[in-house]
Amino acid sequence: MKKFIALLLSAVMMVSLAACASSAPAPAASEEAPAEEAASEEEAPAEEASAEEAAEASGDEITLDVIICQYGPNTNEWFLGSGMDGTNFVDKFESENPGVKLNLEVVSWNDVYTVVDTRIANNNAPDILNIDVFANYANDGLLMPVSEYCPEDLYNDFFPSFIEQSVIDDTVWAVPDLASARAMFYNVDMLEEVGVEVPTTWAELEDVSQAIIDYYDGEVYPWGIDMTTDEGQAAFAYYTWGNGGGFVDENGDWAVNTPENVEGIEFALGLIEKGFTNPNPATETRYDLQDMFAAGKMAMLIAPNQLPTYVADKGGDINMATAAIPANEGKTGSSVGVMDRVMAFKDDSAPDQEARNEAIGKFLKFFYDPENYVGWVSMEGFLPAVNSAVEALVASDPSFEAWLDVLASCKFYPAAKAEWDQVKQGVIAAEQEALTGADIQAELDKLQEELTQ
Amino acid sequence: MNRTKWEPYVWLLPSIILVAVFVIFPILIVFRLSFSEISKSGVIGGFIGFQNYVDAINLPAFTTVMKNTFWWVVSVVGLSTVIGFIIALVLNQAFPGRKIARSILILPWATSLVIQASVWNYIIKYEYGNLNNILLNLGIISRAINWRSSYQIEFVWECFVGIFVTIPFVTFCVLSGLQSIDPSLYEAATVDGAGFWSKLKNVTLPLVKPSLTVSTVLNIIYVFNSFPIVYTMTKGAPANKTDTMITYLYMLSFYERKKGPATALSVIGFLILCVCASVYMIGVMRNEEAA
Amino acid sequence: MTGEFRRQNKIALFLMMIGLILSLIIMLLPLYTFRAGVFTKKSSNTFYGDEKYLAARAEVEEAAREFESSGFPVTITEDALERTNSKGETTSLYTFTIEQTFGRNLFAFLRSPLASGHVFRFLLCTAVLTLLFALLGLAGSIDTHPKYLPKGKAFFRSASVISGVLSLLSVPVFVMLNNYTFSRKLSLYRDELIEDGKEAFYTKLDSFLFNGTAGDQFESMVSKLEIHRSGLLWLLLPALLIMLVAAVEIRHGAVKNTLLRMAMYVFIVIVSVITVYPYFVMLITGLRSNAETLDMYFLHILPTEWMFSNLADILHRGVARYLLNSLMVAGGATLIAMLCGVPAAYALARMNFKGKKVFLGFVIVSQMFSPVVLLIGISQLMNTLHLNNTIVGLMLINAAFNQAFAIWLLRGTFISISPEMEEAALIDGCGTVRALTKVLIPMAAPGIVTALIFVFINAWNEYTISTVLISTASKRPITVGITQFSSFNMIEWQYLFAASLLATIPVVILFMSIEKHLTAGLTSGGVKG
Repeated sequence: MKKFIALLLSAVMMVSLAACASSAPAPAASEEAPAEEAASEEEAPAEEASAEEAAEASGDEITLDVIICQYGPNTNEWFLGSGMDGTNFVDKFESENPGVKLNLEVVSWNDVYTVVDTRIANNNAPDILNIDVFANYANDGLLMPVSEYCPEDLYNDFFPSFIEQSVIDDTVWAVPDLASARAMFYNVDMLEEVGVEVPTTWAELEDVSQAIIDYYDGEVYPWGIDMTTDEGQAAFAYYTWGNGGGFVDENGDWAVNTPENVEGIEFALGLIEKGFTNPNPATETRYDLQDMFAAGKMAMLIAPNQLPTYVADKGGDINMATAAIPANEGKTGSSVGVMDRVMAFKDDSAPDQEARNEAIGKFLKFFYDPENYVGWVSMEGFLPAVNSAVEALVASDPSFEAWLDVLASCKFYPAAKAEWDQVKQGVIAAEQEALTGADIQAELDKLQEELTQ
Repeated sequence: MNRTKWEPYVWLLPSIILVAVFVIFPILIVFRLSFSEISKSGVIGGFIGFQNYVDAINLPAFTTVMKNTFWWVVSVVGLSTVIGFIIALVLNQAFPGRKIARSILILPWATSLVIQASVWNYIIKYEYGNLNNILLNLGIISRAINWRSSYQIEFVWECFVGIFVTIPFVTFCVLSGLQSIDPSLYEAATVDGAGFWSKLKNVTLPLVKPSLTVSTVLNIIYVFNSFPIVYTMTKGAPANKTDTMITYLYMLSFYERKKGPATALSVIGFLILCVCASVYMIGVMRNEEAA
Repeated sequence: MTGEFRRQNKIALFLMMIGLILSLIIMLLPLYTFRAGVFTKKSSNTFYGDEKYLAARAEVEEAAREFESSGFPVTITEDALERTNSKGETTSLYTFTIEQTFGRNLFAFLRSPLASGHVFRFLLCTAVLTLLFALLGLAGSIDTHPKYLPKGKAFFRSASVISGVLSLLSVPVFVMLNNYTFSRKLSLYRDELIEDGKEAFYTKLDSFLFNGTAGDQFESMVSKLEIHRSGLLWLLLPALLIMLVAAVEIRHGAVKNTLLRMAMYVFIVIVSVITVYPYFVMLITGLRSNAETLDMYFLHILPTEWMFSNLADILHRGVARYLLNSLMVAGGATLIAMLCGVPAAYALARMNFKGKKVFLGFVIVSQMFSPVVLLIGISQLMNTLHLNNTIVGLMLINAAFNQAFAIWLLRGTFISISPEMEEAALIDGCGTVRALTKVLIPMAAPGIVTALIFVFINAWNEYTISTVLISTASKRPITVGITQFSSFNMIEWQYLFAASLLATIPVVILFMSIEKHLTAGLTSGGVKG
């Protein structure tokens, strides 16, 4: 039987040797050789044309591969089912735009990076992608500048401050899809019963939290903190921006380990340590926090503008109001905006680039047409990214206006910087390390060092 | 019997083609990728030698993750094998309701890991978890318990779910092995005056061993590569302290976008598995030869 | 011989009496202590001696007088919590409590109208009956071998065992019910989280705690009831266990085997309960309304309203289609895996050829990468073969990834079956293929069924590859399809679990329909030792 093991090991060796051999950059190698694949980015090889593309070439029809992220329970139905007044986005688009077919996919946020990255690795990127990040795709030369496909009138319709968030080297690489703004929500009845005012500074936040803990014998969490792997960067933003710090300095360079940042995060950690927050901030997601708020187990939290809808859906009956996110004494906090984007990928194998660009333009026109866009944005309670939608949205829900004001003063994540992913995961890891007892200063120093290398 | 020299290969051919095309080919690509530069968004660049491997080993969480992976594999494979074996012995007895018991025991396997992990995640929630609900309403506890108060405990829960879903695999492997034991062997042993333990040691174990060996080797591989449980329950939080190798390299690849080191890490994991599986098989077979 | 039984039975009877007496003594102890916080008053921003304090103190003393006048001795405690806030202001929270403490032994539950009272009466009855039935069963047949008892005697002795089991089981039920009634259920009524049956419950509680004299003051009297249980109560378990063992001895003579068998059943029940538990959770959560999935006050184990419309909702959102896709993927994968695996396993088991071990090692090695890692390669391969976004592609991938297990398991099964039968068939003029299908496969049924189930389940549950390969919604398997229930804005637990439960059913049906083959098959064949 030893022989068998020896053979097993040698089989392994064979496999690895074969791999090494094929990994050598031989210019005359087969189709999968890495060198050629890298080169094929720039040139225009029509290799591995997929079935749809073959169909495209033969007829006049253009098929666009579209990936949309799953925002809410209705997203899938709206795009593909019958959630758009009995029809759906794809059917309506195709009937209004003959000659353009959509292969539209609604992918959950959990899987979307996997799906997109794998397709990119195989030169099979979607034509249109709706996602939050864009810098990596732009830096790898995969995206088309917006000016190449976006009609002028539509382009001018976007909020200029939003467009700015998608600029790298003076080129706009993506257009905003929708946004949400975050503010502090509090349970009005609860604060009244305890007899405290709405906190505006960190010190007041601590006082109010202590009062709530005392009054309810710890049955109610005064404050919610989410430092999970999906959302921890938001916590970083809340507490560093509220202390005059942030991800970047005034020159736009990474500065994650400033004294302001350390103080801010230490404040948040202090709240957790004193028992003012939900007990497991590293694994309790935004859903959990919102659920606690909806059930009257949490008095205050920072949440997106959809919270009232969420609470209503969950059958909660909370008398809630919003206020500015508390900041440190003498500092001004800023509300936090989160924006997602729509971008178009290059496809050098497309037979008629102009027609393709035009088709993408048609898609955008259709998508942002108030008739469709207003339904999409309001369905899941988001905030719009175009001026033309504002009027209809305000008409349908007066509370929108206040949120639009908040949105106008929002700060956004520096997602246009190339290292954003690393920073995002880095600050989350630092927070979580600190939660298990590490020194936040040391952790942030480490991250900063990595970034300036 | 007359068999031509080619005949065995003809019998093997479909299987060889299937595995070679659909498994070995992607594996070769992974090996190649581990020596290539890969951009953050996944664009594959040129050959960069062992750089990815160097980066992978220098990752700060490398040691933590390796330790976790070790405990994950050892506890899940070890405990599920022991418990699964006991259950198989019980289920091999004739008793009223055996068919129902068998159908129940296959359940954890019949649901995808993502769902199993989601359900347990929901069950052990502090705030609205079903476990607290049931225990409170049955009067077993009088205050809700925070079932996941530290990351060590969360990791134990992940191992529990891992064991829970792995037991049916072991049970049914052992059961199929037990079925092939001739009952007359037991009768002979009983006549010889052998008790329960002696029959277990001298009849059952040796005869079940082949199927147990294979199932354990495969189990080690499957558990090592198991992804959804840890990913669904904690995503490795806090700070990779509950990550196993496979979830860590996933996070590395798709969250931190260090795709090169992630690929190298997957090859390192493969090599570790090869060594472990070989060591295990050598160990088992040496014992067998000695026996 | 007869004398031996007499002696054994006498000892057992003696033990049983000891057990009963011990139990009764334990029941006489004041095991439960109640501390009724009769009245609580909270007053915030109050300082000792100020206006608010005096007002609150007066209110509390007034209440205390009222209690005392109805004949309950009480004590008043006050607790001040002072803090200085960030602005240097001092705040304070005063808590006044009026308390009353008293103990109860278990016999106090004998006349309790509460549910735990019923359980206690049952416990006491069964414990006494255990002895009584044993006496009846022994009377006149104390010398008889337990196997040859007359029918009536056997019946009484069995009844004694059953009573023993029941009394043992009632102990935890009793304790749990008391916990539930005096802390949880009471607090639910107190916090007005539930309403129904409040009057009746309060009347019963009053009659147990205060002999029905509290009347109008009852609500304030139980506003802060604390119940303390002495650990000595658990001594009831060994005491009753002694009775049970004695009863078993009297019934069967051989205690060890019976207890072992009981232990086996207990083991099966425990394992089954743990196994079924997550499915129970899926069921009750899957049929809840969206609002009820986050029941933070843990009001109900079962849904207050069974939302069978959830099933219609998920079917409307495409779940039927996804299930069908999964069925095709898993069925196809199983078929392909078996068609490739059975011949390979046969060759590996029955033929000698060069490269046999290499191949066996090769299939194992092929398993050592997780699909998550191989995504890029698989997706590239599928593009090349034009199998991207097809169900056939998924079938092939799943079949390939499960070859190793199928081949190794089937090879092991084939080896354990003696080749004589096939050889006989071959000599009879059957071809190799015929010998394989007609003789070997039926005999190898347990192994084949196990492999079949294994491949089917793995293919049914595959998730990662499908997310990347399938880009058309209508081709998604169920594992990917249900991700639509956990979106960015909300996790729809009820739909997620309802769909998951539906997805489990086909596998269970498949399993139950072929389970009998797990035991059949080998009886006819000779087996190699």
